[in-house]
Parts: sequence; C-alpha cells; structure tokens
Amino acid sequence: MKPKPTVEDLIGIEYAKLGFFREVQEKIAELNATNLELSRKQRHIQAILDSITDIMAVLSPRLRISSVNRAFHDVYQEAHPEGKTCHEIFRHADKPCSDCPALKAFETNQVFRETVIYPVDGKNRHFEITASPLKNERGQPCHILLLKRDVTLEKEYQAKYHQAERMATVGVLAAGVAHEINNPLTAILGFAEGLKRRIPRLPEDTNRELLEDFSEYVAIILKECGRCQEIVQGLLTFSREGSSEFSRVSLNKLVGDTIKLLKNHLKHHVRDLIRFDLDSGLPCVRGDESQLKQVILNLLFNAFDATQEKGFITLRTFVNQGDRVCLSVEDTGCGIPAHHLNKLFEPFFTTKPVGKGVGIGLSTCYNIVRKHHGEIFVCSHEGVGSTFHVILPREKHP
Amino acid sequence: MEVRKFSIPEIIFGRGSLQYAGLCARRLGAEKVLLVSDRGLEEAGWVDRVVEILDHEKLHWIYYGDIISNPRDFQIDKGVGFYHRHKADVIIGLGGGSPMDAAKGIALVASNGGRIQDYEGANRIHQPLPPMIFIPSTAGSGSDISQFAIITDVERRVKMSIISRTLVPNISIIDPLLLQTKSRKLIVAAAIDALCHAIESYVSTIASPFTEIQSLKAMQLIMKNLKRATETRDLNSLEQLSAASTAAGMAFSNAGLGVEHAIAHSLGGIFDTLHGLVHPVLLPPVMRFNLPACAQKMAQVGEILLGKKRRGAQATALGGIEKLEEFCDTMGVQTRLRDIVNEHAKLPDMCRMAVNDACLLTNPRQATWEDLLQICEEAW
Ligand SMILES: Nc1ncnc2c1ncn2[C@@H]1O[C@H](COP(=O)(O)OP(=O)(O)O)[C@@H](O)[C@H]1O
Ligand SMILES: [Fe+2]
Ligand SMILES: [Mg+2]
Repeated sequence: MKPKPTVEDLIGIEYAKLGFFREVQEKIAELNATNLELSRKQRHIQAILDSITDIMAVLSPRLRISSVNRAFHDVYQEAHPEGKTCHEIFRHADKPCSDCPALKAFETNQVFRETVIYPVDGKNRHFEITASPLKNERGQPCHILLLKRDVTLEKEYQAKYHQAERMATVGVLAAGVAHEINNPLTAILGFAEGLKRRIPRLPEDTNRELLEDFSEYVAIILKECGRCQEIVQGLLTFSREGSSEFSRVSLNKLVGDTIKLLKNHLKHHVRDLIRFDLDSGLPCVRGDESQLKQVILNLLFNAFDATQEKGFITLRTFVNQGDRVCLSVEDTGCGIPAHHLNKLFEPFFTTKPVGKGVGIGLSTCYNIVRKHHGEIFVCSHEGVGSTFHVILPREKHP
Repeated sequence: MEVRKFSIPEIIFGRGSLQYAGLCARRLGAEKVLLVSDRGLEEAGWVDRVVEILDHEKLHWIYYGDIISNPRDFQIDKGVGFYHRHKADVIIGLGGGSPMDAAKGIALVASNGGRIQDYEGANRIHQPLPPMIFIPSTAGSGSDISQFAIITDVERRVKMSIISRTLVPNISIIDPLLLQTKSRKLIVAAAIDALCHAIESYVSTIASPFTEIQSLKAMQLIMKNLKRATETRDLNSLEQLSAASTAAGMAFSNAGLGVEHAIAHSLGGIFDTLHGLVHPVLLPPVMRFNLPACAQKMAQVGEILLGKKRRGAQATALGGIEKLEEFCDTMGVQTRLRDIVNEHAKLPDMCRMAVNDACLLTNPRQATWEDLLQICEEAW
C-alpha cells in the first residue's frame, strides 16, 4: 500500500519541476566514460588485429577495402589501400576474380575458404584465403573479413616431410633386404671366382666345348654378381648414417673427375653432347667425395636415358643465396610428366623397362644429399627437358 | 504563517495567442510533436488550426485524439505506445481537463515507464517529463496550470489523483478565442468548476497570500462575467472567464482543494459523472458544511457572491451560499444530485472512497465518510 499523500506533499517544497539539466550532465559524464572505454577497447582490438600475422582486410559489398592490419603493410607496398578494390590491390586486375571467395561469402553468408597460388613480386606464393561475412544486427552480411595466410613455406615443408617419411620407411626396408642379400651374394661371388681360378687347372683332355661353356657361364655369373653388388651398395647408403668421413670437396673438380671416369665408357659423339658452365669462383663444400661423385653419375645416367643421345646435357655450378652452392644437371630430354614429380625420389620408382631401370638412382641421390644437409629437387617440362638441382651448404670458415 | 510555495507555468495569455504554439514547441526543442485532443475540439476545427500552426513552423506532428471525458488508464497506455512508436518529443495538450490530463499521463509514463497506477499519490515521479505545452479550451479545469492529473483506473473504478510539480506544463497558452465555439452549457459548467476551484482553494488550510488573491480575483471575474458570457458570448466576457479560470488554477494548484472535489472525483470514478455537472449540486452543501470552520473567509466569499455585505460574517456567508444556489438555478443547470446520479444506494461506497482523496487534506473542516454522505443526502 502506498503511503497516502500529506499536506506537506501538496505544498511540496522539496519538489520542483524536474528539468533535464542534471540528466543531461549525468548523460554527458556517462557518455564520456563509455567513450573512453570504447576507444580503449578499440585500441585493444586494433592491437590484436595488428599482432595477427595473417594479412587481413575488411571489404565492402562492392569489394572495396575499408581497413587492413599491419601484416598487410608488411607484404604490400600500397600505403593507402583503403577505398581501392581487393582485386586491384591483390591481383592487379580491374575486374573481380572469377572465383572470388569474398563474393561467394557475400552470396552464401557463410565462411568461405580457398587456396590460391599467384605471384607476388615475381615469386609464386601459396595463399590460404578465408572470407568470413561480418553480419549486421539482422544477420545479413554487411562486410567481408578477408584473411590471407601465406602458406608457401608450410606447403613446402609439408611436401618435404611427406617425402622424407616415405623415404625413411621404404629406405629402412630396402637397406634390410640389401643386408640379407649381401652375404649370399658375397658367397656366390667368392665361389664363382674360385670356379674361374680353377678352370685352367682342369685336365687337358676335358671337352673343349664344355670348357668354353664353363668359362662363359662363370663370367656371366661374375658380371651379374657385380651388378647386384652395385645395387646392394646403393641400397646400403640408406642406412649408412654418417659413417663416412666428410672432407673439403670442390664440386668443379668433382665434375671433372667424374667425366674423366666416364670417358672410357662413352662413345665420342655422346661425350660431345655434354656442356659445362662451371663457376670458377665456386666455394668448396664439406662432404664425402665418392658419395657426391655417385650423385653426379646417377644424374648424368638419367640424363643420358632421357636424351637418348639426341639432346644436350649441361653441368652447371653456381652460388645460390650467398651461403649455398648449387650443382645442376640440365638436359633437353623427354621431361617428366607432372604427376610423376612427387614420386621421383622414391626408391624403386622407375619408368624404364625391366633390366634397364631399377629406380634407386634418384633415391640414392636424395639420401646422399640429405646427409650432406643439402637439398635436391627437379624442375621439368614434359617434352622440353629437366633440370636437377643439388644445393649444398658452402663450407664454413672456421 | 508556515512556509508556502507558489509555482506556475509560463503563461501566454490573450486573443490569438494560439498562434505561438508552434514557436513555443520549437523553442522547447520539438521536432515531432504529439498533439493530444478529442472529438469536440476536432469538430470545432481547433485541432486543424493547431496542425496548421505546426505545419507553418515546419514541425512534424502526430495526433492522438482517442480521449473521452474522465480519461482512462488504457487510453494513456495507448497514447504512450503511439508516442514511442513515432518517436515524438514535445507534447501539446489541447482541450478541456480530459485531454490535458491525458497528455500529462502520457508524458509521465512515456518518460518514467511502468503504468500510470504506479504514480498515484504525491511526488512519485523521478524522471523529467517531455516538454509540455497546454492550450485550454474551456476556462475551467485549470489543468493547464496545476500540478494535478486525474486519471480513471477502470478496474478499480477510481479517479486517481497524481500530484507532482513535474506535471505542471512548461507553457500554458490561453487564448479566449477558443471559448467562442463552446456551447452555453459547457461555458457554465467550466465556469462553475473554476468558481469551485477558487472557493475551495481560498478556504484551504494551506492557502497563502499569493493564492488567496488569485482565488478572490477568480470569484469576482466569474460572478461579473458569466451571465453576460452565456447570453452574448461577447469576447470581452469570455476573455475575463479565461483569466478567472487561470487565476483559480494558480490558486488551487498551490493551495489544494477540499471536500467538494474529493466527492466530485469519487462520483466521476464510480458513476462517470461529468466533472462540470457536479459543482452546482455539491458546492452549496459543502460550503455550509465548511462554514463553521472558516466563517470569516466564507463571509468574504459571500460578499463577492452577493455583491454586498450582510450584517455579521455568518449572515454574509449564508447569503452568499443562497445567492450561489439561485445563480445556478438561473443558469439552468441541474442542482440536485438525483438529477445526475441514478443509484442512491451506491452513495455510501462512493463516500468511503472519497475520504481517501488527496483533496480532503486541505479542507478547512475535518470530514468523515459519514459527513460526506450527509452532504450528499443534503444534495440529493
Ligand atoms: N633427366 C631425366 N629426364 C627425364 N626423366 C627422368 C630424368 N631423371 C630421372 N627421370 C625419371 O625418374 C625415374 C627414376 O629415376 P632413377 O631413380 O634414377 O631410377 P631409374 O633411372 O633406374 O629409372 C626414371 O625412371 C625416369 O622416369
Ligand atoms: Fe475541478
Ligand atoms: Mg637412374
């Protein structure tokens, strides 16, 4: 029950017509306080946005940039992107891209993800783009938040990691098998050599034809055993973990030695197909000379196979990025189809007929180069040719 | 004398003062005015006239005219919804007591929230109200001056009194030209309401020199001009009635009223009786009831009503009351309670309700509900 009014209430000395003055004052104070709080929050949010390492841009429905974060300025030269269109800034195009994720996000009012590859400053970069609609109070998209993450490095690492993993498992298997075969092979080889030594000691009256057969068969056994041993040796590099001694190696000299070694085996006109482009000031690297020789040999043999004595092979050395030394073997051969590129370095991958290719050449190279803390990779165009690059760290001066 | 207070709105008075309505609204910060009025004013063309003035001032406006006499709580709620929906600001009340009280109610609930019932009683309003401009058209209710708003609670059948200085409008524009379209009956009813305001506030326990002079002036002007105004509708007389009503409003807003208005409110709540009809019936018996408590003042009232003194205060006072009854008779208004209320049986309940009315607080003589019933019986 409300208290009943009194005479004092009617006179109402303490009560006056309520004005807006106090209310306005309070409101102003309140607004000032919230204003301060808002600008503090805004700075906080801006700090968060700026510390995001992905490139961020807010787009209007007409694809005009309304704001960007600091990461944007780290990557793009454009000092004032606001008001310009995203395609203008990101792709130097005067029309929206056909697969524009921002437009799709606007249309569907849903987060849209896409990975694209396009060149920035002449280098192909791999971007993961997320376009998320910023919704108004009615839930309709009024802006698009574009997040661009440069995943070029991640993708490269990922690819390398997958390859390394595959190589490791298959490599361990192969090395195991090689070990097991090595002993019987040594025995076969030993006994075959024993047989060969004993042939002259056979009685004079032994059937001549039979004797010749024996000699021929033993020779074949020895030759094939040699081939087997070569393969087994190659496979064993998979498991030979740092067992070899590293020394100072000049890649230019190594190339020369390897070619000398080959000369006797190569026909004259084939020898003339090899060209050299060696950097005379090339720094040395640290490594195992015979293993690195093996790498050059394997790459050369592949190049011969690819050119079929009809193309050119160029051996090149140069300095790469200051502290890295590069050796490349370029050919104008058949090239490699794109879908083979990622299998190339796997053990036993070959496109060559049985007896001709085993598929351990490149995987051996891969293992050797990796042990040298280097990289091996290929650039190839089908029908045009291939270039294998071996990049090794230059020798560090003590 | 104890401490008293006297407060009134800005008053713009005179023929044609209506034309300043738009200017006043603009000065109070109006962009979109809520105009509150009723059917009668629409028909008389005054609503159109005000709209014209607002248009001329290039103000936006919305109109709420769903008001009947003795404004109801639900009409307030509707008005508040209308006000908010259209984002109106300044409120203009145009008409008699009902549209103006309704405008007060709308202003109150629109700014303070809740229901109108929450503010029943005195000084319960804590937030400022939207600016209000009132344009009275009856020269009677005094609502354009006063700190009172009377709204009917339909469910409880009670006329709620809401009292607060904050209900005093910012500006009251009093234009006697508006009275010209009034019926004779309405002029009489309003004038006697104003006379009643003047008499009750004069004998009020909290009357002060500032209210007494207004009360006396109002009585004189009404007695002098009412007859002529009803007979000739001469603009001078109407103007004097306007001034009287305004003066009476100043008096009762600050000095309060008495038993008569307590009963009048109760009658309005229960029987929906028109406020203006009640006074010729109740005022004389109430004056007789109060006489013993304020003979001197009643004598002064009597002198004005009579136009002369009789020997002794008592005689002058009684003479005045008789003159008043006679005066009402000649005006051709109903003078018996039975003429305006049909259920005698409900009178006790009505009186029990009336003793709770805030108007009773300032009555010169203590009154129980039985006293009120006695008054009603006398008036029956
Ligand atoms: N220079 C090259 N040009 C074209 N294809 C090549 C080249 N080098 C290697 N390849 C492809 O890579 C495969 C794997 O090479 P490798 O590991 O050396 O095994 P193999 O030579 O025994 O086939 C080859 O079968 C061939 O298809
Ligand atoms: Fe009244
Ligand atoms: Mg090979």
